[in-house]
Amino acid sequence: MRPCNSLKLEFLKNWIMGLQRWSFSKKEMGILERKKAIKLSADIAMASARNGTTRWSRALIANAYSKHDKHLVSKGASTEYSRRIRSKKILKRSCRRIRRRSKGLVRERTRILKNLIPGGELMNEGSLIEESLDYIVSLRAQVDVMRSLVSASEVDR
Amino acid sequence: MLAAASSCYSTPLNSPPKLNLPVPKSMGMNSGVADFSADPGFAERAAKFSIFGSRSFNCRTTQFGPKDNGEIAACRFDPSAANVKLPRVSSSPAIKTLAANSQEESTVSKQHPEPGFKGPNSRKRKAAPKAKTNETSPSPSPNSSKVIKPNEASNEKRCKLSESNENENGSGKAVEEDANGSNTRAPEPPKDYIHVRARRGQATDSHSLAERVRREKISERMKLLQNLVPGCNKVTGKALMLNEIINYVQSLQRQVEFLSMKLATVNTSLDFNVESLMSKDVFQSNNTLQHPIFPVNSSAFLGHQSQQNPPLHGNITNGTMTQCSVDPLDSAICPKLNTHLPQINQFIKTVPQYPTFCEGDLETLVQMGFGQNQSQEMALHSQNFQGSNQVSDMKVEL
Repeated sequence: MRPCNSLKLEFLKNWIMGLQRWSFSKKEMGILERKKAIKLSADIAMASARNGTTRWSRALIANAYSKHDKHLVSKGASTEYSRRIRSKKILKRSCRRIRRRSKGLVRERTRILKNLIPGGELMNEGSLIEESLDYIVSLRAQVDVMRSLVSASEVDR
Repeated sequence: MLAAASSCYSTPLNSPPKLNLPVPKSMGMNSGVADFSADPGFAERAAKFSIFGSRSFNCRTTQFGPKDNGEIAACRFDPSAANVKLPRVSSSPAIKTLAANSQEESTVSKQHPEPGFKGPNSRKRKAAPKAKTNETSPSPSPNSSKVIKPNEASNEKRCKLSESNENENGSGKAVEEDANGSNTRAPEPPKDYIHVRARRGQATDSHSLAERVRREKISERMKLLQNLVPGCNKVTGKALMLNEIINYVQSLQRQVEFLSMKLATVNTSLDFNVESLMSKDVFQSNNTLQHPIFPVNSSAFLGHQSQQNPPLHGNITNGTMTQCSVDPLDSAICPKLNTHLPQINQFIKTVPQYPTFCEGDLETLVQMGFGQNQSQEMALHSQNFQGSNQVSDMKVEL
């Protein structure tokens, strides 16, 4: 199934705006830095296209806010998200049993999936699958848009 | 409107003791049910019964909510209401339908009523056929109960109840969903209860019921994912499905990485000059995925100013990396390009220069793009096909 156009447009819009902010802040960047900047702004754009309705998007924004340059992310939403994530982590930590054996194929794969999806460790299995569903749709939209941009910008070379 | 005494939902009289019944049992079932068939409006109401979706699973699943005094409507849920409650999953229309249809938690194992006894046949059922198909596959019931087909609902009893009938069969309880705990009618969105039908021979304590609900929820979502992840239709079983999902997510993430690296090489200063992009006027189309990389033949495409052209990858800076048509998966992902491209085209076209952006501008641009391009899509579509023929004639140069 194809991601819908509105999602793609939203993503593109956010992305271009984010990149604008980057280009204003830093003048000279190596290629790896640029790549990181591009990817980060793309991820944040994708997550904000969800407007905080999904857990992975909130987790992604919260992580980006805490780890990377803060100017990419709007303050209000991200602090709210990080707060939620933090409280959830505290809750999980207090309730979790410490054993880490991943017995069984399904358990192990669930664990891998949890690592893949941003914020996945905090979800239970049912919502994990739901979130991964939405995440896949968003990723696809992201890939589509990026690919079109690439091909567009390559033609003139 | 059914009289208060007549309710299609009856509280199971011999329910296990540890279940609390939060709502007072308002009807003796048998007496109430007798009025059912007599109710002329019942069929009509029953016909409205579409889906009941499960809300978030909470600990009250094992509680019985006896239908608000005979409101069959209690078990009816609007698909739209169900959709509203699941904003995340319903991001795309397809998912929305799927999610709405597959959100029923209760198994639709129908207990066969005594033949002529339509009255107390209380079965809770989902009227939506789609829901049924979703239900049957994940949860085949051990006994011979079958899912109620929509045509069966032609009789008045649309709503199944778990009741004395079931208890007679010894199949345990069904948890009724309580719409509002009151006499509200059909269009009420479903509330917190999740209806589960315990099958014959299965444990009926609250824990195992909860566990079963959880499992069914997971299997439903797996089904949704099957439609999403290409190549997953034949895969059954959780472990394999999870494997596929993991591979797919990883491949998508890798693609994002790769594409962002590529963009980084192409743009030296992070300013995506939209105007120049537009003038080249090449956007992604499905042809990239199906054909190898072609040399740029710009002359052939200069004429197509405001159309989508089959993309051509020109001189590839990183020779090894530009296999955008990296996985055959992609062709499954991006079958038809064209619908979104005119909009993006339009959007980018109307964007003058970066520094002059502001949020309001972008909004209008996007909307303009939407509005203007709906009609153009068809025309562009045909033109694109012609364009793609051109591409296929070109030689592959690597």
